Amino acid sequence: MGQTVTITIDGVEHQVAAGSLLIRAAQDTGTYIPRFCWHERMKPVGMCRMCLVEVQGPRGPMLITACTNEVAEGMVVYTGNDTVRKAQEGVLEFLLANHPLDCPVCDKGGECPLQDQAFSHGPGESRFVEIKRNYEKPIAISSLVLLDRERCILCARCTRFSEEISGDPLIEFKSRANVTEVNTFPDHPFASYFSGNTIQICPVGALTSVQYRFRARPWDLQMVESSGLHDTAHPRVSVHVSQNQVLRLVGVDNDATNHGWLSDKERFGFQYLGSEHRLTSPLIRRHGELVEVGWAEALDHVAERITLVGDSDGGEAFAVIGGAHGSNEDAYALSKFARVVLGTNNVDARLDDSLASHFLAATVDRALIGDIDTADTILVWGPDLKEEHPTLYLRVRRAAQELGVRLVVVHPRVTGLDDRTAIKANYRPGAGFVLLDEIAEGKHAALSEALSAPRVVALVGQASLADGPHLAEAVAAYVRSKAGSARILPLARRANLFGALDMGLAPDLLPGRVGADQAGRAALAGAWGEIPATRGKDTKAMLEGLGSSEIRFLLLVGADPVRDVPDPRPGPAALEAAEFVVSIDLFLNDSNRGADVIFPASGFAEKEGTATNIEGRVQKLNSVVPGPGQTRPDWAILADIADRAGRSIGLFSAETIAKEISEVAPAYDRVTWDFLEWEARDGAVVPLGGAPVLSHIPVALKGDIAPSAELTLHVGRTLYDDGVMMRHTPNLHRLAPGPVAHLNPEDAKRAGALHGHKVRVVTKHGDGEFTAVLDEGTPPGVVYVPFNQPGADPLGTDAVVRVTAVGK
Amino acid sequence: MSEFPADSHTIDRYEATGGYVQARRALGMTRDHLVEEIKASGLLGRGGAAFPAGMKWSFLAPARPSFLVVNADESEPGTFKDRQLLERDPHQMLEGVIITAIANEVHHAFIYIRGEYPKPARRVQAAVDEARARGYLGTGIFGSDYDLELTVHLGAGAYICGEETALINSLEGLRGEPRLKPPYFPAAKGLYMQPTIVNNVETVSNLPHILDMGAEEFSRIGHPDDTGTFLISVSGHVNRPGNYELPHGITWRHLIYEIAGGIPGDRELKAIIPGGASAPWFVPEIHLDDQITKDVCAEAGSMLGSGAVIVMDETTCMVRAAERIVRFFAHESCGQCTPCREGTTWMEMILRRIEEGQGRAIDLDLLLDVSDNISVGLNWPPKMTTICPLGPSAVSPILALRDYFRDEVQAHVELGGCPLTSGGRPPDPRSLQTVSAETSRRSTSMVAPDRDRE
Amino acid sequence: MSQWSEATQERAREIMTRYPQKRSAVMPLLYLAMAEEGYLSDAGMEEVGRWVGITPAQVQAVATFYTMYKRKPTGKYLISCCTSISCMLLGGDDVLHAVEDESGVPHGETDPEGLISVEHVECIGAGGGAPAVQVNYELVEGVTPDKARELVRWLGNARPGVVNGDEMQELFGGVRSFEWAIREENGAVGPYPAFQPLGTVGSEDKA
Ligand SMILES: Cc1cc2nc3c(=O)[nH]c(=O)nc-3n(C[C@H](O)[C@H](O)[C@H](O)COP(=O)(O)O)c2cc1C
Ligand code: SF4
Ligand code: FES
Repeated sequence: MGQTVTITIDGVEHQVAAGSLLIRAAQDTGTYIPRFCWHERMKPVGMCRMCLVEVQGPRGPMLITACTNEVAEGMVVYTGNDTVRKAQEGVLEFLLANHPLDCPVCDKGGECPLQDQAFSHGPGESRFVEIKRNYEKPIAISSLVLLDRERCILCARCTRFSEEISGDPLIEFKSRANVTEVNTFPDHPFASYFSGNTIQICPVGALTSVQYRFRARPWDLQMVESSGLHDTAHPRVSVHVSQNQVLRLVGVDNDATNHGWLSDKERFGFQYLGSEHRLTSPLIRRHGELVEVGWAEALDHVAERITLVGDSDGGEAFAVIGGAHGSNEDAYALSKFARVVLGTNNVDARLDDSLASHFLAATVDRALIGDIDTADTILVWGPDLKEEHPTLYLRVRRAAQELGVRLVVVHPRVTGLDDRTAIKANYRPGAGFVLLDEIAEGKHAALSEALSAPRVVALVGQASLADGPHLAEAVAAYVRSKAGSARILPLARRANLFGALDMGLAPDLLPGRVGADQAGRAALAGAWGEIPATRGKDTKAMLEGLGSSEIRFLLLVGADPVRDVPDPRPGPAALEAAEFVVSIDLFLNDSNRGADVIFPASGFAEKEGTATNIEGRVQKLNSVVPGPGQTRPDWAILADIADRAGRSIGLFSAETIAKEISEVAPAYDRVTWDFLEWEARDGAVVPLGGAPVLSHIPVALKGDIAPSAELTLHVGRTLYDDGVMMRHTPNLHRLAPGPVAHLNPEDAKRAGALHGHKVRVVTKHGDGEFTAVLDEGTPPGVVYVPFNQPGADPLGTDAVVRVTAVGK
Repeated sequence: MSEFPADSHTIDRYEATGGYVQARRALGMTRDHLVEEIKASGLLGRGGAAFPAGMKWSFLAPARPSFLVVNADESEPGTFKDRQLLERDPHQMLEGVIITAIANEVHHAFIYIRGEYPKPARRVQAAVDEARARGYLGTGIFGSDYDLELTVHLGAGAYICGEETALINSLEGLRGEPRLKPPYFPAAKGLYMQPTIVNNVETVSNLPHILDMGAEEFSRIGHPDDTGTFLISVSGHVNRPGNYELPHGITWRHLIYEIAGGIPGDRELKAIIPGGASAPWFVPEIHLDDQITKDVCAEAGSMLGSGAVIVMDETTCMVRAAERIVRFFAHESCGQCTPCREGTTWMEMILRRIEEGQGRAIDLDLLLDVSDNISVGLNWPPKMTTICPLGPSAVSPILALRDYFRDEVQAHVELGGCPLTSGGRPPDPRSLQTVSAETSRRSTSMVAPDRDRE
Repeated sequence: MSQWSEATQERAREIMTRYPQKRSAVMPLLYLAMAEEGYLSDAGMEEVGRWVGITPAQVQAVATFYTMYKRKPTGKYLISCCTSISCMLLGGDDVLHAVEDESGVPHGETDPEGLISVEHVECIGAGGGAPAVQVNYELVEGVTPDKARELVRWLGNARPGVVNGDEMQELFGGVRSFEWAIREENGAVGPYPAFQPLGTVGSEDKA
């Protein structure tokens, strides 16, 4: 700690950090002061008055709240003398006076600070003989959260969270004095992507989870720490399990990533694990039907095919798409399998929707999430963080609001951060380069000035599918040229995409941030043997190759290239044309429904391993429940196929794979499970130390020039969509916006479209009917259509769009 | 014919009697000079806290812009002095506002008037418009290069908004909840987190007179440590209720029996509330001949507060009076602090039970212990378990029940009702009283005794 | 997309210029919303939220903190009887009971016709003229139970378009806290304060 002061707590002198809150300082020196409203990550309000302690004041001893007062040199504090004890017991009695005695049926029972306090400090039986306040028992303030106002102690944690932290104040105090309550506004539910956090921080059972309600008691729960995979920041979570079922996820407070917060997608988005649609045994296609078979038969069938195709056409006839949803160990196995068993570099974990693999994997000046707090300027030129990167959204929001960081957001329309921006620039989808040139020419003085600050962190990615893959690189290059010191965070959203790329799941990459070039291949030859030299294809090229029958064999690993790609056209034809398709997945989807062989894979919390987040932080994933039926980890399935194909990849357990990774993947040098479990509790950011890794040379080529169409299409992602896992998570799937098209009221008028009525949206690649949403947040000339929505027809990436009204 | 003209609220009348001369002079003075002058005058705040006005100004943090908010939320039960100043002498206050603004380099001032005072608000707004028309407000006041905007803001029914930090939150469009201390003074961080001076209507209304007669002379009026005259609002069981402008230092006996004309029907005096509903009570047996000054009151364990004196005669049920005051604080609690939100309502429930004859022998002790958890040690000034003094203020009447009226409380319990009447409710004292036009007393406008403008 | 009359919107714009920050205009705008509909509806709160750029829940948090924003339809005449200590000592409760009895409207309610609402309130700063009553926040001091009954009947019969304090004081009042100076011609037009910037001040000739 830097500056310190000396204070005396209950007669003992302590050195504590100057400027720290008394409640914190006391805790750090071993004295726990009871509290309800105070929360480490939020501003103190001193409302519950539970943390009263006595100090020497100017006019004799006085009671102060430890949560609102900072320590001062020579402060003498009593946390347990008679005055303090009586005051605290008084507060507790007041809180209990109107609190129902329904602990036995309360979800919070057993993990309730109020209950605990009542046991340790509480009065025996209540002196409050009057009639208690009563309210309608739990009311649903959203489809995910229930509110029981009788239990509420008005600590303002939930209201502060939604205003201070997540920035959507939809739950607030109402009335005053003794009838004060927490509530939402009529017909305005608590529709926040972060609502679950209020359940987690509610110190009583006032806010409870619809999903978890009455499911278990804390004491029958088994709790295992892991990291969440819905969000590429990989927030730390604690997985709570009972009878081999995941019942809930709780955020774990750590400075590195999520500060304990989780998006509702992370918190509630595990329903799919228990879905009855999970694949539970190997399937083989017979007479057009998929039938269950034993492992041996399925594995042999695939192995034979591999030999057959390989012998006649060689590695070029194979394609591997996917691998971003598993662990690093799965990805490594897949990477090795493709190169060693299939003999191909045709492998891609990006479904054609993100940035150049080198940019993502090998940006040497990559920012840490923590850098967000210490920057002078943060530039977000990419997706709406609130929709695609909830953890980063909260960090950036806090930096702009609490830490005085200057925030610049560049996006085609309104974003979740706009209310905190110092500078906001909108641009027409596809016209990013035009704006960038203007900025470079100094046409946006304020903006370039902001980017010339000493420390700039730039979060860059694809704001709109119409933006070419290189815009982000060009933005990064510009920031580097202006800023004193620039830190770049390339944005991409697939679960463990960064881990997958680090394991070489891209045509031009090999494990450990090594290029698939001569040198890279040579370095790896010792461990892997000979690695094909031919340049690999990316997803787009592979689909084309399938279409032209140049590629005969397709391996899909947790991928749905028919639905989950920006350009909907090649997918179906390619799958149609494919001679043999093998899929490793949790579910049937539009891409593997026609496959020849399907293997049931285990999912999140069902297997051990590691994952690498957006900043390069490697963390442990733990296995908490057995997968359903005969599901197995990807790596195990791949290892078996390899053996039966007579080309063993020598992988026997996730842990030994991790060890092999640490040996052969330069950037992962020394990153073993032991290291993660014993030395790096918050994970380790790779490369550790100066391990030599390839550095990415930014390409400065121009992207597509601004489309001149009257209307340009902005396709962007929303947190809830029609992705396979969401589809099997009804709680959240039902919250997806669905087939909607946002129009500026002006444009709507011109197209004759009314709010809530149907419009037809037509592009070169597709067309479909959508419900019109009149929205000031969408600038004139732009039509915003959320990507991959339930019941929505894909429109492709073409920016030119026509909108016509169809009526009700 | 009253001592003052019916048009005392108009700018013509005000200027005819020397109005706005001091504001003009102030423009020529430095901040330091003005602050020193007010310090020297010894003027204490009249809003209840009796804090030295000059000293408060000297706390103003350097950041700019700074703001001024005149506290016209007058809601302390029994208080109605500011209302008279607002209705009858709005320009006197405005001149004080201009002086305060200049002294604190303020270019936007606010007057926060409680919502239940639409008439005073109309008068003040009219006065503001008159002053603006003459160039005394707005850009370049009095032809100088000094700009002063002024906004009259209407409250909406919340006593707590009289507490200066709650008032500031309310003015920011938030719930009127008091802010945490420290910072102890809005002068450090106030409206929009900028340095802000909050002063009471009566406080600022004194300023023109101080500049006029000079700090020296002003400080000789009244009591050395409580200078100038102050307004007392007398209500309750007296023949001549109303506002009285007095120098500090006379006795309660003099105030009640001479000035306020004694008690209707010559009934016995039973209790005095010296400084508004928040103040602990006095009883004639002990306090009748005490001097009315800040310090004497403090020594006797109470305060002059907002200068509201409420007189209760022998017909008054002390439990009922206490219940009514506790009810007020319970109703007006902002609800932030657990002890205030839950405790005051609990106290109200217990008192009502006792008054209605449902009291139990243990109830007085329970009441005292519940009170003790809001105001530790049951003293005045309180040792608070709360953020602001509202909660602890609710305890004041309970102190009287403990110290002077235990027997009356017990009598309620034993009788199963109110001892003062068979029916459980005392008779309406009004029926025993004759109030005719002339018994309604005279009240004066804010002028030092020796220099009436008339 | 405002549902307010152009006149009200004009007022709103004017009011917003009086404050350095938008949100400070919440309270006056809530009064405008009341004046527009006679009470503060949910729609009114949403509208205010749009004006100052906060969520309806935030507007509700503020509106429900104060007692003068009436969130259910309120009578043309809101009779507020003070029963705080000073008025109570001189019979404030009896005045309240008289008003409730004469109007047939209990505390916190409104008659079916929507003419009269009755409430008892805490101190309204009229202790020198206790017991005191307000009609649409226009004050009457020194009221007796009988005078209070007369006041209620008068409101029912005369149905003044503008409620004037001086007029009511002459007809139904007694002792005052102090002399009010010259007679006001203006008064209140609804159950909300009559104040120039709100455009709620009615004059008798207009009525
Ligand atoms: C609960 C409470 C209510 C208050 N009400 C008022 C009030 O109605 N009017 C007022 O001027 N001061 C009131 N005050 C005092 C103000 O907080 C503040 O001290 C005062 O306005 C400062 O002005 P002054 O220094 O000129 O007295 C109240 C204080 C508290 C704690
Ligand atoms: S003491 Fe009462 S009024 Fe004051 S802040 Fe606490 S709850 Fe609010
Ligand atoms: S924890 Fe300090 S007041 Fe609540």
